[in-house]
Amino acid sequence: MNALFLVLFVCCALALAFAEPAAFLPALLAGAKDAVTLCLSLAAVYAVWLGFLKVAEDAGVLRGMAKCMKPLTARLFRTRNERALGHIAVNLSANFLGMGGAATPAGISAMRLLGQGERAEYARAMLFVVNCAGLQLFPVTAVALRAELGSAAPFDIVLPAVLASLCSLLLGMALVRVAFAVRAKVRG
Amino acid sequence: MKWLALLLPLLFLAVFVFAAARRVKVYDSFAGGAAGVLPLLRSLFPYIAAVLVLASLFEASGLSARLCAAVSPLFGALGIPAEIAPLVLVKPFSGSGSLSLLSRLCSQYGADSYIARCACAVYASGETVFYLSAVYFASAEGKRPFLPVAVALASNLAAAALGCLFCRLL
Repeated sequence: MNALFLVLFVCCALALAFAEPAAFLPALLAGAKDAVTLCLSLAAVYAVWLGFLKVAEDAGVLRGMAKCMKPLTARLFRTRNERALGHIAVNLSANFLGMGGAATPAGISAMRLLGQGERAEYARAMLFVVNCAGLQLFPVTAVALRAELGSAAPFDIVLPAVLASLCSLLLGMALVRVAFAVRAKVRG
Repeated sequence: MKWLALLLPLLFLAVFVFAAARRVKVYDSFAGGAAGVLPLLRSLFPYIAAVLVLASLFEASGLSARLCAAVSPLFGALGIPAEIAPLVLVKPFSGSGSLSLLSRLCSQYGADSYIARCACAVYASGETVFYLSAVYFASAEGKRPFLPVAVALASNLAAAALGCLFCRLL
């Protein structure tokens, strides 16, 4: 990531220096301002969901969910960490139901709870890739937008969208498995 | 859509009442969870700022427009219309940016056009990879997120191509 960041930054800065040097600092500041406003709205969203998740955890709901999904998640993420599996269960179900606000804080907690070590790296990579596939039972935003604009059949993108994310989910999981298997072989 | 809106209040009610029945101090517990927000944001903010500053610079430098022009033949070969290329490129960086692009595409071409349906499929089947990687790997010291990010970008591109394909077929 460090190399990617540096290369992209240098390319952009050079391009802008030749085209319009005066726009350089305003562009940086606009980006930082986006980050500040995003963090403020995230603070509100996370306050609600982290509070809710703590209540659910204290009531034992997370442990129950973790137990229900354990046959699937323990195998997929190759971990026996009970607390992490609880947050993973919330993260996956919230993503599936389209509650992004609940999914991301649970995912961050899971990433932290997975801890360090070689196996943790695999579990983290897998959790990240599964999250990035964005598999959603019902893509609310896109359907609502089309309905608002007067579409005759706003729901007809549900099937293509869900099928496409399902395929990308399977592809991503397969790629992570292959990459870690290759890496293990290279290291002997 | 109405039953969907009902889901959240019912979920909160169910969990809070269940917690109270198990003698959890709901008020203290909720506050305890919310206490984690500021430390969390303090560790996330630097990475979010770095990603968004880069995204803004990328846009302002005109490289993003040039990259769009450069990759649209490649996207064409994958069956992704040239009109959708900016959306595919913005999606990994910014959720709000890609949403405003999506609504512009939908109103410009009409909500039932092939372009709009493709755009919706691309939007719904992808995720904000760079933003999520900044947030998820912020706490993982010394870990290289390069491999997961590469895998996620590749599978998102595959999802975009497949989404357009399914829009044509279904």
